[in-house]
Amino acid sequence: MTTAVREETRVGDDVTDLAALTDPVDLVATLTERAVRARRLVVDMAASPRGCHLGGSLSVLDILIAALHRAAGDDGTEVVLSKGHAAAGLYAALHVSGILPENPAPLYGLAGHPYTGHPGPKVPGVRFPTGSLGHGVPYAAGWALSQRIGGGNGLGIAVAGDGELQEGLVWETCQVAAAQELANFVLVVDRNGGQNDGMVADISPLPQLPQRFAAFGFDVVEVDGHDLRALTALLAEDRSTARRPLAVVADTVKGKGVRAVEGKPGCHYVTIDEARAAKWKRAIR
Amino acid sequence: MSLPATALLTDERPVTLSGRDAYRDELTRLAASDDTIVCLEADLGGKGHPFQAAHPERFFNLGIAEGAMVDMAAGLAAGGHKPFVSTFAPFAALRAAESLKLTLGYLAAGVTVVAPYAGVSGAWFGTTHHCLEDLAILRSVPGVTIAAPYGDAEMRAVVREAVRSGRPHYIRTGRNATYESLPGVGAELPLVNWEFTAADPDAVCLVSVGEEGTRLALAARRAAPGTAHAHLVYLDHEHLTEAAAELARHHSRFVVVEEHRGQGGVAEALALLLPACQVTSVSANRSWPSQGGDHEEVMAALGLDLPAVLDALDRAATAAGHPTTR
Repeated sequence: MTTAVREETRVGDDVTDLAALTDPVDLVATLTERAVRARRLVVDMAASPRGCHLGGSLSVLDILIAALHRAAGDDGTEVVLSKGHAAAGLYAALHVSGILPENPAPLYGLAGHPYTGHPGPKVPGVRFPTGSLGHGVPYAAGWALSQRIGGGNGLGIAVAGDGELQEGLVWETCQVAAAQELANFVLVVDRNGGQNDGMVADISPLPQLPQRFAAFGFDVVEVDGHDLRALTALLAEDRSTARRPLAVVADTVKGKGVRAVEGKPGCHYVTIDEARAAKWKRAIR
Repeated sequence: MSLPATALLTDERPVTLSGRDAYRDELTRLAASDDTIVCLEADLGGKGHPFQAAHPERFFNLGIAEGAMVDMAAGLAAGGHKPFVSTFAPFAALRAAESLKLTLGYLAAGVTVVAPYAGVSGAWFGTTHHCLEDLAILRSVPGVTIAAPYGDAEMRAVVREAVRSGRPHYIRTGRNATYESLPGVGAELPLVNWEFTAADPDAVCLVSVGEEGTRLALAARRAAPGTAHAHLVYLDHEHLTEAAAELARHHSRFVVVEEHRGQGGVAEALALLLPACQVTSVSANRSWPSQGGDHEEVMAALGLDLPAVLDALDRAATAAGHPTTR
């Protein structure tokens, strides 16, 4: 997604200039506030006539907000949500980050509007179509390669799901990225443990995931995927002297922020009524 | 009556290269003055790739990873580059089909896929290396320019146009066979290259597609000299729609020769575009060749040979009220 609009852009009631925030505590507080507002927007989308992929949208939100913050630095960094079914989370994150001016929630899934169940490049801030799993990973790797050839410092950040790692295309790209020493390629795994039909561990488990990435030739970091301080610090790192791509295994909770569904595989795709949405939104902190 | 020779050649070159070698040579030449051109291979580019020698910083052999290669090309295009990716047609059009749909179609990314080993040019390598279905797949994806150049000069012209236009291209070619370029002058490829058109509008017109389709059509013309012959390079829906109108201005009975299955091929498309005309297909039958042989032998096993073309001409001529074309 592009970040042509810098973060000082007015975002609803938030006119914070993040570039002016020199205190990391203030930065994290601001990003946390964004995450809260984004989660409420996702719940609004779950209350739309078509519902949404709620669990994965909520689990990936903090990762997206941190990644978009890195991309707002205008250094050519591109963020690709490869787990495109979490489109509601992406739309919400883009909006609270100031990249998508209009509120997507009331328009989600409606004819005449681009906010489909999986994102495409008609949405402001989205560059690649994703949802057929695996493709966003090589898109981001190609972007990283383009940056390198052009002498830029930007990252290609792919945000994938752990269930998505069952796709061969992901590992094909990992092989290529390592062989090309694509150090400005970052693959963040939203490890929420769930997939469409149940738990990853029950369907096609991914044991020793960090070791797998290391064996492919990646630098590997494990992190709490809801810790905005850790995520922003990780993604702010200068990788210009690195030789290996970076895998970030981010542990998350499916449905994070909505206590009624947290950790439940059944929250993968949810349609709720407005009364329940209002109750859930009030409880999001 | 023969129409004036139309444009094909812009460069005088002493050596005629195969389609894939002409591609490599032309792209290498163009990249000298366009530093956005990037060349990607998937372990089938062969050793001694001229692009690698001339522009090593923009040449990437990504290994046996066709889907990743096409998708990474989308990322490169988004970053301002002009990626040219190449791998055998069966792997590009079939294994990476979804990536082609998204990258070339939906994204309309400025990515060119050059696919050698189209048809059964892989011959004795076997069915895994045959590709008689790529036109059917690519022609159904909106927005993709599809080309099947014949000979060195056409391939170079198509590559130049792909670079110039920045539009998504799929270019099918053969293995290592060389074909003498059709005569012509000028800088651009014509929509329809009329090698020969008969004065009688009821005369049957051969329509040649691709390398072997054109070779067979030229051989049939030698056997039946009065036969009209129109050669097509661009095979996507948009180009064919325009070409069909031009074909119909000269003739009403066509025999289309193509190294592809009939289903989803050019004859089928022209039949839909020209409902008032008679279109006969000489194409691969629906069998799966399971024996060895060279390119010509495997084509013959599929019903794609000179006797088949001449038979189709005779049948079309008989239907037109002319007992024979010879």
